[in-house]
Amino acid sequence: MKIGVYICHCGINIADHVDVEAVRDFAKDHPQVVIARDYTYMCSDPGQDLIMRDIEMERLDRIVVAACSPTMHERTFRNVISKSGLNPYFLEIANIREHCSWVHHDRTRATEKAKDLVSAAIAKAQLLEPLQAQEKSVTPSSLVIGGGIAGMQAAFDIAASGFRVVLVEKTPVLGGHVARLNRTFPYLEEAEQLIGPRIEAVLNHARIEVMPFSEVEKIDGSVGEFSAEIRRRPHYVDGEKCDRCGECLKSCPVDVIDDSNYRRNARKAVYFPSTDGPNEILLIDTEACLHFKDQSCDRCQRTCPQGAIDFTQEGRLEQVQVGTIIVATGHDIFDATKKTELGYGKYQQVITAAEFERLTASWGRTKETPRIGDTVPKAIAFVHCVGSRDKQVGNEYCSRVCCTYTAKQALWVRENIPDSEVMVFYIDVRTFGKGYEELYERAQKRGVIYKKGVPSEIFRGGDKVVLRGEDALLGQPYEKAFDLVVLATGLIPSQGAQSLKNLMKLSLSPDGFFMEVHPKLRPLDTAVDGIFLAGTCQGPKDIADTLAQAHGAASRATTTLFQGKVAIDPVIAAIDEGICSGCGICEEVCEYAALTLDPYRRLMTINTALCKGCGACNSACPAGAISLKHFKPEQIIAQVYALCMGE
Amino acid sequence: MSQEKREKIAVDKLDPKFKDQVAQERGGEMIVRCFACGTCSASCPVRQANDRFNPRRIIHMVLLGLKDEVLSDDFVWLCAGCFSCQERCPQGVKIGDLMTALRNIAVREGHIHPSFTAQMNLLGKAGRLMEIGDFENKKRGRFKLPPIQQDAAEVRTLLEKCGVLQPEEVQDRGGG
Repeated sequence: MKIGVYICHCGINIADHVDVEAVRDFAKDHPQVVIARDYTYMCSDPGQDLIMRDIEMERLDRIVVAACSPTMHERTFRNVISKSGLNPYFLEIANIREHCSWVHHDRTRATEKAKDLVSAAIAKAQLLEPLQAQEKSVTPSSLVIGGGIAGMQAAFDIAASGFRVVLVEKTPVLGGHVARLNRTFPYLEEAEQLIGPRIEAVLNHARIEVMPFSEVEKIDGSVGEFSAEIRRRPHYVDGEKCDRCGECLKSCPVDVIDDSNYRRNARKAVYFPSTDGPNEILLIDTEACLHFKDQSCDRCQRTCPQGAIDFTQEGRLEQVQVGTIIVATGHDIFDATKKTELGYGKYQQVITAAEFERLTASWGRTKETPRIGDTVPKAIAFVHCVGSRDKQVGNEYCSRVCCTYTAKQALWVRENIPDSEVMVFYIDVRTFGKGYEELYERAQKRGVIYKKGVPSEIFRGGDKVVLRGEDALLGQPYEKAFDLVVLATGLIPSQGAQSLKNLMKLSLSPDGFFMEVHPKLRPLDTAVDGIFLAGTCQGPKDIADTLAQAHGAASRATTTLFQGKVAIDPVIAAIDEGICSGCGICEEVCEYAALTLDPYRRLMTINTALCKGCGACNSACPAGAISLKHFKPEQIIAQVYALCMGE
Repeated sequence: MSQEKREKIAVDKLDPKFKDQVAQERGGEMIVRCFACGTCSASCPVRQANDRFNPRRIIHMVLLGLKDEVLSDDFVWLCAGCFSCQERCPQGVKIGDLMTALRNIAVREGHIHPSFTAQMNLLGKAGRLMEIGDFENKKRGRFKLPPIQQDAAEVRTLLEKCGVLQPEEVQDRGGG
């Protein structure tokens, strides 16, 4: 065997603390090494040429590069030796920078350690086996989970690129949280004008299949060939027959508090699920409907002139095959009743910002000016950071939107109720986005008073509520009565999306939102190849950031679709079928669901596209039936042996 | 440092290590988390009665390094220990525990509020924080309760063994 060893100076990074010539001479003495060189920058073009020339001239079999971490340049050197006709996996890197020169300052001992690392690499290099990267084809379509603004945009982008998209939405209607807003900050556009055309565009797009009122129940496979099971829930109203006459609504005897409208109004057990009424299919709420409770009522069925009500309608399970998946499941709104001292749920004068949006929206169901009883409120308080930046409720993070939406709402009050007195109680004001600071200033100029120091409690004072707090700038306590208090409730991880976490083996960051692979370098990718994140499921963000992320995620998802095939890293686990007993221990330790039991042969099988080559299974296997390619036991033992036997 | 007379902060006399000293003390660990929202001062019943006690301000003084001002002034002794602030603090600063930490540091550095010395003396003398005289025992008699003997020998021994009182300190040294 002919091994070439290349020692990199990395400028002075390595050469200052390691005697590179000594390491080179040490390597040269090894019986299998035919050539050993040192060079200023091995990764530079002249450095690469040096290796290529040697491979051709000396007919080298294996290459050892002693340089920086393999994370940095393993791929570079694999390409180099591949160009010279060697298998790219005939390369071993000895990390003498991060593992040696950067952490040691005793030149003599650092040089000795570098020699040990090089001899270990030489030992392993002799046992390296050729590996071939595999490819597999990609189903040219995507699944987008979540029909809010992020999911709709991502779906639209992918469809616009020419691929088929399945858009699954849990609720009966598209639009998500944005569809329930009044205006958007900072330019105060109507949310309806923003979201309405988008919903229409998605619904009418030939390549987008919208599945409302559906949930993903199972996801199998891996990047390029995911297969998902989607449960479509029944409406109990036949959409073909129903002509939206609304007779059933009049006949229904049940009144239900409308959760989808932030509990601001009541609806019937049979209802139009969104705010824009006649364009959509009616729905029966099985939890409220008396027929589903005890079969005591069938008034709507008897009333319906079209005979569209069908209590026996059944949901169905649909299978879809896709190449990539975008998770855009959004967020929930913090439950303000958890802050008992603020009196939400106890006093009708205390509402959340989301409810305020519904009250002020010129469209939708409520269509009312905010009123307390019959009077229009004059003194209105806004309280920042409810459920955000609060360790007592377990949410340490800033929700990023509340400061700016509060400025927007406070401004709305000043403009629509001219003789109103508006105070905003804050801890810090973070209006960070483009045009946001200007909105904050506009609110202040319109007479909104900002007071530093959030109230510690809210209590009843006649027909008003009293805020008790401290003006932190004056250092003086205040107690002030208000007609209406709006709590700037923060964003929390979607509870409904928790099941997806298990279905797809996604990880969560400490704040409970889905975690990206790298906060800066790979902000849209999950640890599972082919699954990407868009919108507030990854963390609180405003509409502008959400859309930027949705465009990005769609671009990431279509990159794979355009490629038409995915490469599979050959450094993955392999099972020796002669030894495997099918005990399943490896299946439990696998974070990527790459191992499954073949029940007929009683053997474990590996999904090569899912395996990340982490090595958990081969260390867990009691029989030693699993080995990791490129890190086989004999290769590692040879390395350890070389390290221990070195002088 | 009351509301009325406010002097300039002597920047060169600040002790930037004071916050670390407080953070080392049991109960003071979380002090650097404070983001000055004012919830503590707003919750504080003492604050409502007495302008000089303001938890947010005390925390800020510690963070700034106004060591002498914090330890020598008597406001750290005004905390009633109701823990409203601790319950509501969004940053989990543990303000009630922090006040105890500040008092412990103050005592070690020779600052103790005279009312506390007086209380300890009274406890050593009477065995309780209230002297029982004929008036009280007569009242007890009306409810058929036995009279209380003004003997605090056991309590005194306890306090002496704990090092709170010196044996000769039992004499009245004057209260606050």
